[in-house]
Amino acid sequence: MSKPATIDAALVRTLANIAALPLAPGREDVIAPTLDAWVRDANALSRKMSALEHWAVTPATVFVHPVQPEEKG
Amino acid sequence: MAGDENQLAQLTLAEASQRVRAGEISPVELVDACLDRIAAVNDKLAAYISVYAEQARAVAKASEMLIRAGHWLGPLHGIPIGLKDNVAVRGLATTAGSKILRDWIPDEDATVTARLRQAGAIFVGKTNMHEFAWGGTSANPHYGSVRNPWDTERFPAGSSGGSGAAVAARTCYGAIGTDTGGSIRLPSAINGIVGIRPTYGRVSNAGIIPLAWSMDTAGPMTRTVEDCAIMFNAIAGPDPKDASSSSAPVVDYTADLGLGVSGLRIGVVPGYFFHHLQKPVHDAVQAALETFEDLGATIVYVNIENIHGNISAQLTIESAEPSTYHQRWLRERPDDYGADVRTLLEIGEMLFATHYLQAQRYRSLLRREFLEAFKSVDVFICPTLPFTATRVGEMKVVIENGIEEDMLSAIMQFTGVPSLTGLPSLAVPCGFDGDGLPVGMQIIGKPFAEATLFKVGAAFQKGTAFHQRAPAL
Repeated sequence: MSKPATIDAALVRTLANIAALPLAPGREDVIAPTLDAWVRDANALSRKMSALEHWAVTPATVFVHPVQPEEKG
Repeated sequence: MAGDENQLAQLTLAEASQRVRAGEISPVELVDACLDRIAAVNDKLAAYISVYAEQARAVAKASEMLIRAGHWLGPLHGIPIGLKDNVAVRGLATTAGSKILRDWIPDEDATVTARLRQAGAIFVGKTNMHEFAWGGTSANPHYGSVRNPWDTERFPAGSSGGSGAAVAARTCYGAIGTDTGGSIRLPSAINGIVGIRPTYGRVSNAGIIPLAWSMDTAGPMTRTVEDCAIMFNAIAGPDPKDASSSSAPVVDYTADLGLGVSGLRIGVVPGYFFHHLQKPVHDAVQAALETFEDLGATIVYVNIENIHGNISAQLTIESAEPSTYHQRWLRERPDDYGADVRTLLEIGEMLFATHYLQAQRYRSLLRREFLEAFKSVDVFICPTLPFTATRVGEMKVVIENGIEEDMLSAIMQFTGVPSLTGLPSLAVPCGFDGDGLPVGMQIIGKPFAEATLFKVGAAFQKGTAFHQRAPAL
């Protein structure tokens, strides 16, 4: 079980720096509560999807190439 | 004359179309009726960002001449339609409800626009929306907050709130909306109209400003299921301009409207579909299920083991993808976004790639479970959202026990399932709460089973009258 997220203004500033996203003063306090709630839920979903029973599930982002009949010259 | 034109605006799309074809009314009269309604109510609703009065009248006159000459193009010929303002129209501003795109003039129609144009539809204007479609209230800081025609102190939901309000207020006979996480279905339910989120890939997204590429869809919003199927006929189908477009064959989506639901198996997910709802919503959707049983359908309870988690998955994907699309503007013009959208875009930059990919893996899992469940049912039915229209500007909602919840998460409780799985979903009005505010249900189908959804929705509307009630505005 991972530790619950506790995202505060300082951590938001760090994450923005990592993303090379300039934040205007005060934005951290606006972002932190919602980001904290979403990351907690996202971590819970990650734990669910990391379970052994789901190990073979692939993401919905994979490409599917339909087979095209070869053209005859 | 004004009274006659108001009567014309009350016609359904199908009724208007039949009368146009029979030569009983002219497209010019229909356009005038809609423009009169827009003039009468748009100040109160802020449903339109642009109104194309001059262009619409010119096209209507040309349509009238064509029809008189015997060249009837089909059931949309001469019918006034609204387009959400993230759908490109050649030569006319397409803002996506934003300040950033205020002056953007597309040089090409979106495929949806082109297909409606080809079918003879007349565009009366571009409808207001939540900025860049990223939100469910349609409280737009740049073009005014859209208001609900049933009570202008209430919100119209979103993001296609302008389309919803425009159709409900009888300012057009149908409108195009877009739906990523619920943006057609939510305003359809809240405004008491019909709207379909198609199977992902069934309707082209080419020429539509994206929100989240892997979930974006476009579809019609109308007053009746029949009208919705008529519009869907015009816009569905493969499109080489859209890489996500499906080559699956289209059918005549109006063909099965009269077949009824005898023998239909309706799936309900216990512990989720009727859980955590305002009572009027619960009661209205429960009554709708009983109506379906009276019409010959059977209710089947089907467990979807991993249905919990869908809201988080949706928020993660719907954050990360828009933040990718908006990355440059967010750095160069952050002050040009509204406060809520700016915050959401900033948050989307701070989620991890693993969060995003676990959410995408969850989609695969959820889709697999629903496809398995469709071996024992034909459709699923659930509420479209757990509450009726809140007051304009509210960002919290009380669903039960007096507890305030975040609007964005709460509004997605039921719309996330089709968005994540790519399944089609039809929103149909099914009741009203004690304040006279509409309640909607969604009918979820198998991939490419839109014709079945229209059949089920039409059977419900044949047996009920919720769709015939009009706001007093």
